[in-house]
Amino acid sequence: MIWQLDLSVLTLIVICAFATIMVKDLLSAAIIFGAYSFLMCLLWTEMGAVDVAFTEASVGAGVSTVLFIAAVYQTSRTVKPRKSGRGLAKIFALLATLLTGLVLLIAEADFPGFADLSSPASLHVSPYYITQTLHDTNVPNMVTSVLADYRGYDTMLETVVIFTAGLAVIAILRRYKKDQPFTPPEPYILSKGYPDTIIRFVARQLVPFIQLFALYVVAHGHHSPGGGFQGGVILGASFILLAISYDFKTVLGIMNEKWNVLLGNLGVLIYAGIGFLCLGLGANFLDYSILSKVLPATDRVMARSHGMLGIEIGVAIAVMAIVISIYLNVVSRGKYDKGL
Amino acid sequence: MDSFFIGTGVALCLLMLLTLHRAIRGPTAIDRIMGLNVIGTKTTILLVIIGTIYHRVDMFVDIALAYALLNFIVAIAASRYFQHRKNLNPKGYGFRYRSEGEK
Repeated sequence: MIWQLDLSVLTLIVICAFATIMVKDLLSAAIIFGAYSFLMCLLWTEMGAVDVAFTEASVGAGVSTVLFIAAVYQTSRTVKPRKSGRGLAKIFALLATLLTGLVLLIAEADFPGFADLSSPASLHVSPYYITQTLHDTNVPNMVTSVLADYRGYDTMLETVVIFTAGLAVIAILRRYKKDQPFTPPEPYILSKGYPDTIIRFVARQLVPFIQLFALYVVAHGHHSPGGGFQGGVILGASFILLAISYDFKTVLGIMNEKWNVLLGNLGVLIYAGIGFLCLGLGANFLDYSILSKVLPATDRVMARSHGMLGIEIGVAIAVMAIVISIYLNVVSRGKYDKGL
Repeated sequence: MDSFFIGTGVALCLLMLLTLHRAIRGPTAIDRIMGLNVIGTKTTILLVIIGTIYHRVDMFVDIALAYALLNFIVAIAASRYFQHRKNLNPKGYGFRYRSEGEK
């Protein structure tokens, strides 16, 4: 925690937050919100929460702003002006906000300070995680071990939440009816041939490296920030880059809808399957140490490390498939014919 | 040496304020996209600088790499938006609602 950087980044964040709410053009609001996400990532990094910062970086830079732009593209860019004569409601809202802020400020006084050693969170379980992680699981990055091993249940249900979100988007938006034949929009006619040679070339050259980096993030999550979620988002972002720089059909050619949904299922299934495998071998659900019975040449400690890698791979597959299918559904209004 | 890096970081934050002004005030959305891109570049540098201050660059450089690889997707997506919906500089899209007279 460096107060000079803290102060400057927080000031920028507050400015960004106000501008995002105030601006009336929704596309600009999405873009300023992207800047907000960059600054949030800086704040997390500066507080030392490197894994959280990595999640914010991959989601904010790769996916969320693009999803907002896709939603604006398919809906409307303007905000309807409010009817006048809502003065009373505005005053009431202001009072409610101020009151809530006041209550939160009063509650904040009772909070322990930043990195306070005598706070309850630092006294109860944290010392165990900090001192015993390497001994228990042989994983240097204790965030990964807490996330995937000690708190494996929570992470499994988080993956299920992401999966459910993808299912909900498909259920709401996807339309199978072939009502009108595909007519290319005007820009395609105007710029027939290969209009975006530079962008297409750069994207084509860059996508393999992005995917390699994503695989590194998944596999190296034991030693450095990262893991299944971040790696999966980066993998999904590489497909989104292909869908934007080329067109919709390119991505569908690589990853069609059926495979996409199947992969989303498979990821959650890998996670739960490893849990049930532990159960079947006679240990608790998601107690990876029992996997040493089936994995060759691993003791009980390394088995926990390998089990974590297995569930990280499951999370990565699920998140990648869900990110791709959410983007494809939002950008084409569920028709899967053309996108951005 | 740490104070040097902290000073560099604060200076970059101040420069980011100028870019943020373009991103927020920018008359057209293209200015905003440019502002966002420059903020992303500065974020990449600042992440490495923070890593240097904490003496653990190896932990922080991955995040910087992720930004370096993914930063431009938003710019391409927003540009595609304008390729399809040609409305670069509409009136009343700033901080005011569109008034009745201007269409």
